[in-house]
Amino acid sequence: MNEIPEDPKTVSRRNVLRGVGYGAAFAATAPILAACSSGTSGGTTSTSPSPGDTANSPSGKITIGSFQDPAMKPFREVYVKKFTEQTGIQVDYQETAYDTWYQNSKSDGLQKTGAYDIYVMDDNWVPEYAAGGIIQSLDKLGLKVNPNILPKGLDQGYWPPRSGPKLAAFKDTPPELFALVIIDDVNMLYYNKNHFSTPPKTWDDIYTAMKSKATPPNLYGWAARGVKGNPSVMTYLPLLNSYGGNFANDDWTPGFAGPEGVGALERLLSFLPYMSPSTPEMDTDQETGLLLQGKAMALTEYTGTAVSAVDNPDSSKVVGMIDFATTPSQVKAGPAIGTFICGIASAAPNVPAAKAFLEWFTSDEIQTDFARNGGSAAVTSTALSDSEAVSKYRWLPAIAESVNNAVPKPRTPDEPKFEDILGTQINLAVVEALAQGGNYTQIATAHLKTAAEQMQAMLDQNKSVYFG
Amino acid sequence: MTTELASTPAPDMSASPPRRPWDFDRLLPYLLVIPAALALALVSIYPIYEAIKASFTKYLYGRPVGSAGFSNYIDVAHDPVFWQSMGTTVEFVLLAVTAETVLGLALALLVINEFKGVKFVRLSILLPMTIAPVVVGVIWRLIYSSETGFVDPLFVALGLGAPRVLSHETSAFVGLVVVDIWEWTPLLFLIALAGLQSIPQEPLEAAAVDGAGPVRIFFQHTLPLLIPILAVGVILRLIDAIGTFDQIYVLTRGGPGTATQLISIYAYNTAFNFTDYGHGTAMLIALLVFVSLLILVAVALMRRAAARTS
Repeated sequence: MNEIPEDPKTVSRRNVLRGVGYGAAFAATAPILAACSSGTSGGTTSTSPSPGDTANSPSGKITIGSFQDPAMKPFREVYVKKFTEQTGIQVDYQETAYDTWYQNSKSDGLQKTGAYDIYVMDDNWVPEYAAGGIIQSLDKLGLKVNPNILPKGLDQGYWPPRSGPKLAAFKDTPPELFALVIIDDVNMLYYNKNHFSTPPKTWDDIYTAMKSKATPPNLYGWAARGVKGNPSVMTYLPLLNSYGGNFANDDWTPGFAGPEGVGALERLLSFLPYMSPSTPEMDTDQETGLLLQGKAMALTEYTGTAVSAVDNPDSSKVVGMIDFATTPSQVKAGPAIGTFICGIASAAPNVPAAKAFLEWFTSDEIQTDFARNGGSAAVTSTALSDSEAVSKYRWLPAIAESVNNAVPKPRTPDEPKFEDILGTQINLAVVEALAQGGNYTQIATAHLKTAAEQMQAMLDQNKSVYFG
Repeated sequence: MTTELASTPAPDMSASPPRRPWDFDRLLPYLLVIPAALALALVSIYPIYEAIKASFTKYLYGRPVGSAGFSNYIDVAHDPVFWQSMGTTVEFVLLAVTAETVLGLALALLVINEFKGVKFVRLSILLPMTIAPVVVGVIWRLIYSSETGFVDPLFVALGLGAPRVLSHETSAFVGLVVVDIWEWTPLLFLIALAGLQSIPQEPLEAAAVDGAGPVRIFFQHTLPLLIPILAVGVILRLIDAIGTFDQIYVLTRGGPGTATQLISIYAYNTAFNFTDYGHGTAMLIALLVFVSLLILVAVALMRRAAARTS
């Protein structure tokens, strides 16, 4: 600690003014810096819950934190209350914006502050949260898993992953369940029955239909999210997977720059003459808007639009006209999966009650209720095939089929960076293809090659993490 | 007696009494500054200290795993995307702030004189500045949207092709500059208006009497008197524009490609999406140094302008 100088000359007005000047400069970058520094502390000062906690019968109160999403509405408004009614365990449910919640939950878990018992997460947080000790192993806590949970959905909670490439440090580690899926969000094909009498099976079927029926700008053959990053990747992945490509191969090398990946992107680019020319700026709201206004023949999208909008006359001009299937196949179907998944915090104050909640919510009875009342993307095969639920909500079998065919994204904390790399190049390819109106093979090859080189450079930079 | 008086040294009436270091009156101004300084230290200096610490730390997936020395800074220096983003930021800031200054001054000159409804006009000009940046982003996303917005139909009605602002690299960048100009011209308008209202009228009246026309009066008298005031506004805008984030995040996320990826977006992605806090904070510290240098230059120019005016 420096001592304050006694010489009065050192505390001059000029010095004070200079200090204020520097303060102004600091203020310019302070908000971003402050945000950055919030995630920098890695102290592990507080204690974990005592082992005796797990032996106690569940009671008391739990705190569940989540990001905001329309799909969480029934969970928040119905099931949290129902759990309290049935068990007497109080639930404090807190929601915040996605990015904020990601930071808050990570900070809570790393510093073991114990502010939450359960984190509702996006499934791509699991590698970081599990590897970093932010959440606890549910296997070690003795959580009883409902055997009717769809295996591909359940897989999202394992660390290290049960299949696909593994980080070097976890190569020989047996997979453990760290998080439990609560909503099976997955890509599905949404198609307008006015333009397809039967569900299109392949991407070629879709192309053939749009060539004969699309009349842009009145009726587009396809709608897609084209904004750089995650939206572009979510548009491309069902094609890539179905053409037999991979986001990352089993040895982590990029699996999208070969003929399969190029073929998949070329097919997407071939749709462009029948798509909105604004595709590079489109995100979910604009893309689904086209479908719901009756201006697009089909699209692939997560389940949220089905549950909240397709049959809502306030938001749809095609009520009852949209049907669902798993995403088209070429050599196979390959929808991307993006589940809502719950983990128990590293310093959860009430582990028994948290565990009880997860077991309760994923039970057959509650999941069937979840599907029957609102058509939510339940996680059990029994709920998604329940005759009462299916008669009310026709998309439920498509959800089950899509989950069963789903291909997970690479299970690594670096996945967002891979996604940014690939998503930027897909976005640029779409922009270029729209401008040139052709030349799709060259455009696809060039941009996927760039993305693969950038991804490989990143893998090489972190050699020890990926290859040991 | 006279001799005695003459030989006795007269007391020095001009000398102030000897000061003690704990003289309360002297310390009072500094004491009064303490609460504000503490608040500044808490909300600004401490996070910066933490950020500097983070910039020298190696992180693996969000967890500190040891000292990084200067490697984060070396990585930043060799990161082509960082330099590309810095270039985009400089272009964005220069275009936006220049346009805002010229437009703000022009609007202030238009409404400096009193006329019926002038208060309403002044208030209307200020409105965009009062809207939260993220809301501004949402509003302009709807305006620019090729499917629902009015920009494309307007261009088509004028016989021009639909620009599809956010679908092309150059137009998306220009579109973001336009949004910034729309939102922040009011700030420079406000400062310019206050400056114009506080300028002494005598030199202007004297110039008019001497036969100078309005244009000559403006460039030879009004503008030089206004520059020190305007410079404060320009510096504030420069600082603020460098950190522009919300509108871009909502409108383009830095795309198409990397056409609108300002350093704020890139640093955010690096720190939070890619959980590389060390690299992200090193970028921001570099930006901090850049902003500080910019301010030093701006202050020096301001002083020179003020000296010339006086």
